[in-house]
Amino acid sequence: MPVINIIFVLALYAQCEPTPVGDKRLAGLAQAQCLIAAKRFAEAGPIVAQLEKDFPSDPDVLYVSAGYHMKAWNDVIYRMYQNAPASYRVDQLSAEVFETQGKYTEAVAEYRKAIAKNPLAIDLHYRLGRAILQQSHDPAALEQARKEFEAELKLNPADAVAEYQVAQILTAEQNKAEAQKHFERAAELSPDFPEALIAVAKLRSDDKRYPDAIALLERATKVQPRNETAHYNLMLAYRAAGRTADAQREKTELDKLQKPPEGEFSNFLKKLGDKN
Amino acid sequence: MKRALALFCIGLASAQDFHPHFYNAAKEAGLTAPIPNGGNTSKEFIIETTGSGVAFIDYDNDGLADIFIASGPGSPSRMYHNEGNGKFRDVSAALGFTREGWAQGVCAGDFDNDGYTDLFVTYWGQNALYRNVGGKRFEDVTAKMHLTQDRTRYNTGCAFIDYDNDGKLDLFVANYLKFDFNSTPKPGANPYCFYRGIAVNCGPRGLPFDRNILYHNEGSAFRDVSDASGISQPDGTYSLGVLTGDFNNDGLTDIYVAGDQTPSILYLNQGNGKFIDEALIRGVALDDNGKAMSGMGVTAADYLHDGLTSIFRTNFSDELETLYRNIGKGEFRDVTTEAGLGKNTRYVGWGCGFFDFDNDGWPDLLLVNGHAFPEVDKLKIDIHYRERAILYRNDHGKFTDISESAGPAILETHSSRGLAFADYDNDGTLKALINNQNEPPSLLRQSKPSANHWLEIKLEGVTSNRSAIGARVKLTSGNLVQTDEVRSGGSYLSQSDLRLHFGLGSSTKIDMLEITWPAGNKQTETNITADKLLTIREHQ
Repeated sequence: MPVINIIFVLALYAQCEPTPVGDKRLAGLAQAQCLIAAKRFAEAGPIVAQLEKDFPSDPDVLYVSAGYHMKAWNDVIYRMYQNAPASYRVDQLSAEVFETQGKYTEAVAEYRKAIAKNPLAIDLHYRLGRAILQQSHDPAALEQARKEFEAELKLNPADAVAEYQVAQILTAEQNKAEAQKHFERAAELSPDFPEALIAVAKLRSDDKRYPDAIALLERATKVQPRNETAHYNLMLAYRAAGRTADAQREKTELDKLQKPPEGEFSNFLKKLGDKN
Repeated sequence: MKRALALFCIGLASAQDFHPHFYNAAKEAGLTAPIPNGGNTSKEFIIETTGSGVAFIDYDNDGLADIFIASGPGSPSRMYHNEGNGKFRDVSAALGFTREGWAQGVCAGDFDNDGYTDLFVTYWGQNALYRNVGGKRFEDVTAKMHLTQDRTRYNTGCAFIDYDNDGKLDLFVANYLKFDFNSTPKPGANPYCFYRGIAVNCGPRGLPFDRNILYHNEGSAFRDVSDASGISQPDGTYSLGVLTGDFNNDGLTDIYVAGDQTPSILYLNQGNGKFIDEALIRGVALDDNGKAMSGMGVTAADYLHDGLTSIFRTNFSDELETLYRNIGKGEFRDVTTEAGLGKNTRYVGWGCGFFDFDNDGWPDLLLVNGHAFPEVDKLKIDIHYRERAILYRNDHGKFTDISESAGPAILETHSSRGLAFADYDNDGTLKALINNQNEPPSLLRQSKPSANHWLEIKLEGVTSNRSAIGARVKLTSGNLVQTDEVRSGGSYLSQSDLRLHFGLGSSTKIDMLEITWPAGNKQTETNITADKLLTIREHQ
């Protein structure tokens, strides 16, 4: 029997008390497993968090943490379905689960049910619009989705992301003038929203207002230093403005960001390549 | 912060008066043999997905474009002779095309300048250089010309290119990745072997990269100059479609390569035997969000009549196709959406080509599609293994999707790969040949072509390479000024007729033709009447 399972059994007998084992990692793992099994999630949480802090790359720790989060999530969902089965939140949650499974038709249906139960709930129209776009490549989907984003904006006029989505759809529909207003509104509502900053910057570049575009894109890269879209468009804006050295610097940055991650799997692939 | 999504666009009806009606003439033309290419309902390995190209090549110089179709195992690649009257005859065995294997790309050029167009066929495995012997047969001279490779490679797109303008055609060969049946994981084996939750063949992500190859034509043999030229430098691209052209107007032919799930490459010819990849800084590596697309096919045209060669690339489903407008000095801008493209996101695009189907002088755009994974049909979503083609009409630089009203051949569903164009019966309209996986090819032609005028030009190099590959033509007819270039390879692993085709609208006369030959010399022809095939030989 693996050591971790022996300790786990011991911990169970000890009513999930901290085990008298000198090794901090093994003791933590044993206690966490015991508490998770006993559905004492509130107590397990801090122990798992501490383990992750102390041993961030340990596969046993990560495995136990994944189990904790999954079981805790399942437990809450179960209670929600038991205690409030008719709530719009149940429909919303079902929709979100379907989304994660890629079942967008089902997700759309569940979001519609949730909206019917609570038409004023924030975020439902936005999520429905997003699911509609995922569900279908049919041209009609664009208009349906736009209506949902606009409905979200009626409930929450300060929703920058809904503004951004409306603008994206208008762009796709070749309505650049209207799209521009919504992109600019999104950036006003949320000055640290990188996608909106980038979109407005592209419009400025189209108008050859490169200094304005550069300012917006520099801000986007500051807000989100690993945003490849921002770096790419900043590189192009520098290029257009004749700032070649700056463009090259952004290119270098982008090259770094786009480099495949190093790790066990990458190493395996490299070895596969070396065989040929 | 909620995550924003990529959006999908819609098509609009065309406002133009002329409505093309394309039908599939393959059967009546005698093109009935299916083209085997791996599994039909599932594909265990990536080699089954990439399919193969097609070519229009007038191998016997009778003025009628013949047909070559590359094939996967189960059939040799086939050559069909153009018998006239729209009929083709299978002459594969008689000409020496008996080899079976994983044929991928095809490109044409007269590498030995003997006046007969030769053929290069890429394979997963040894490539084949077929020397055209007087239009009577093809001789496999791969080994004799030192093109035998020292290991099994996954060669894909190819193009003959005279990169040093010495009058002898050199050869570029793209390589996809390192693949073999024994070591490549099976469907579902790792995270790179799934599509929308279903197990599919693995790759390209997760499979090892390979490098592209440039061979210099030394006369008696080719020499691998990949390292010395810098062609092997980019290390991280899954290369497929190849497009050549002078993208920065410096008189030297450059090379663009579509990268699958990786940045595309733009090898800029430095003029000293070296190439440098400048795709990223010049704006043709990624889409306008800075993301690498799944590039497959590539084509180019002066679609705006500004004298600059812009680049179009097909991509995967849930991605926009990409149009990079050349804004001068070899710099590009992604104008896909504003040009009216990017309206079809459920298709996996492969072959593509600008062709002026209505001869109005504005190059239109045809794309052929088909998903990489037959298994996608199990998902019961609006993405399918067999898909229809897409036809965009070019209206002064803005594109309109007219697929739904362009005739039954556009709407036929196939899993298509290669695509090439030629006016094979010399009636003044271009036809399209399509390689369909495990089905006979399609041959698209119009039942009632436009009455607009046209000109076709066959260029013959003398100092320059005989095929005139790399020659540029500027045609002026009234206010209409068009430019084009003779290219080897292109589209998706395919070869269109080497003759250039220009639509002229209502003009019956061409005021001026200005030819810039690869050797650098310029030649002008004036007062040419329309509606004919014109052969122009390079002045010495």
